[in-house]
Amino acid sequence: MGFLDALLGKTKLPEAKTDKLFAISTAAITLETTLGYRPDGAAAVCIKPVDSSRYDAARAEVEELLKLSMKDTGTNYSIQKDEYHYVWVVLSDPDFEDLVTGVQMVSQILTEQGFGTQLLAAVYRFKGEATLYWIYNFKQGAFYPFVPDRGRERDTLRELRLKAIMAKEMPIEKDESRWYPMWGMPL
Amino acid sequence: MLLTMFLLGVLYLAFLAFLLYMNVSQIGIILFMGGFMFLQYFYSDKMILSSMGAKIVSESEAPRLYEMVRRLCQNANLPMPRIAVVRTDMANAFATGRNQSHAVVAVTTGIMNRLNAQELEAVLAHELTHVKNRDMMVLTIATFLSSIAQIIVQWLPFIGFGGDDREGNSAGGAALAFVVSLVVWIVSIILIRTLSRYREFAADRGAAIITGQPANLISALQKISGQRVAREDLRRVEGPVSALFITPAISGGIMKLFSTHPPLEARVAALERIEMELEA
Repeated sequence: MGFLDALLGKTKLPEAKTDKLFAISTAAITLETTLGYRPDGAAAVCIKPVDSSRYDAARAEVEELLKLSMKDTGTNYSIQKDEYHYVWVVLSDPDFEDLVTGVQMVSQILTEQGFGTQLLAAVYRFKGEATLYWIYNFKQGAFYPFVPDRGRERDTLRELRLKAIMAKEMPIEKDESRWYPMWGMPL
Repeated sequence: MLLTMFLLGVLYLAFLAFLLYMNVSQIGIILFMGGFMFLQYFYSDKMILSSMGAKIVSESEAPRLYEMVRRLCQNANLPMPRIAVVRTDMANAFATGRNQSHAVVAVTTGIMNRLNAQELEAVLAHELTHVKNRDMMVLTIATFLSSIAQIIVQWLPFIGFGGDDREGNSAGGAALAFVVSLVVWIVSIILIRTLSRYREFAADRGAAIITGQPANLISALQKISGQRVAREDLRRVEGPVSALFITPAISGGIMKLFSTHPPLEARVAALERIEMELEA
């Protein structure tokens, strides 16, 4: 947000950057071959809902298409609200490519309907020596690793190593203070 | 808002020109005040936190608060501020800190008890918008010369004007300086308060946009402003701009012109308009 906007007190939410979402596809291969993390059949999109009937229409359209693709590719979905009233579209499919396509579809529809600003994050779950989430920050257009440990701790060491190894394969958020954890995700 | 800023600028330039024209030894005062305001600006976060009895909390002490602020910051692409809690039953919240990386957002235990999660989130978004809009900086700059005028008004009767006056009409000069400073002081306060009300509207608007739900802020404002509690606690913080509250510590009452916050009805009406915009 520009300095002038700040001076005049204007607030605009940044638009979603969806173009880097696909980077996870190729990165998943390296993750598996060199680090032993396999896709765990689950992904999700986290959305900040808006009080507006246009948003409700967009959401209905998302659900419609999710139903279609469920028949088509066998991707299961559920839509849930978490305790902070954010909406989660949770997808499950053993085929990782189908998950990536599903996430892409959800974010694309919302962006086309003018609600790209409400896309908070996309999350992919991986399994290896620990459970690993790659979180895509739509506002930054970059991924970051999230490895929850016991309680509300995170395995920072592991996350930093993942960053170091994967930095060439996918766009990774450079500012580690923006590696926002997301506790209690519905996946 | 632009007009208010412009008028304030014109007023201050005229005042500076006047001080220079009067061949002032008051430059010392200006430098002194400048230094003082700079320090206040620089240490505002620490000063306000200690004067309010606000304590910076860690994530393990306030996990829900952290999660709410974090998601709002992520959605609006803002850096994460520090988070503080004030132990008082009075429901209020404020933001302080000289820039985005030194920002602190504080809430009272009273507001956390009274509001539900979504209302609290709306209040947090309001404060985050203050941070994003650099309201601390805007209002500190706006207050600077006004404070000098105030000092001249308050101290001139005792110290006289500018030591030895070569034209020998020291008394006349002092009287003129007093009157001019008084006018500048009063007019600038009205302008600053007007500006402050604009910033509040902007913060309300920002909160509505960031949360996507103007109704939550409306019900939060209605809940907090309905309170009838002792206001003494916050009184000492009023005065120099050092924190940006969700609702005024002291309600202006008599004169709307001097109020730092718009009246509740106007804020609710503005938020309802945003609700219509979101629908359109």
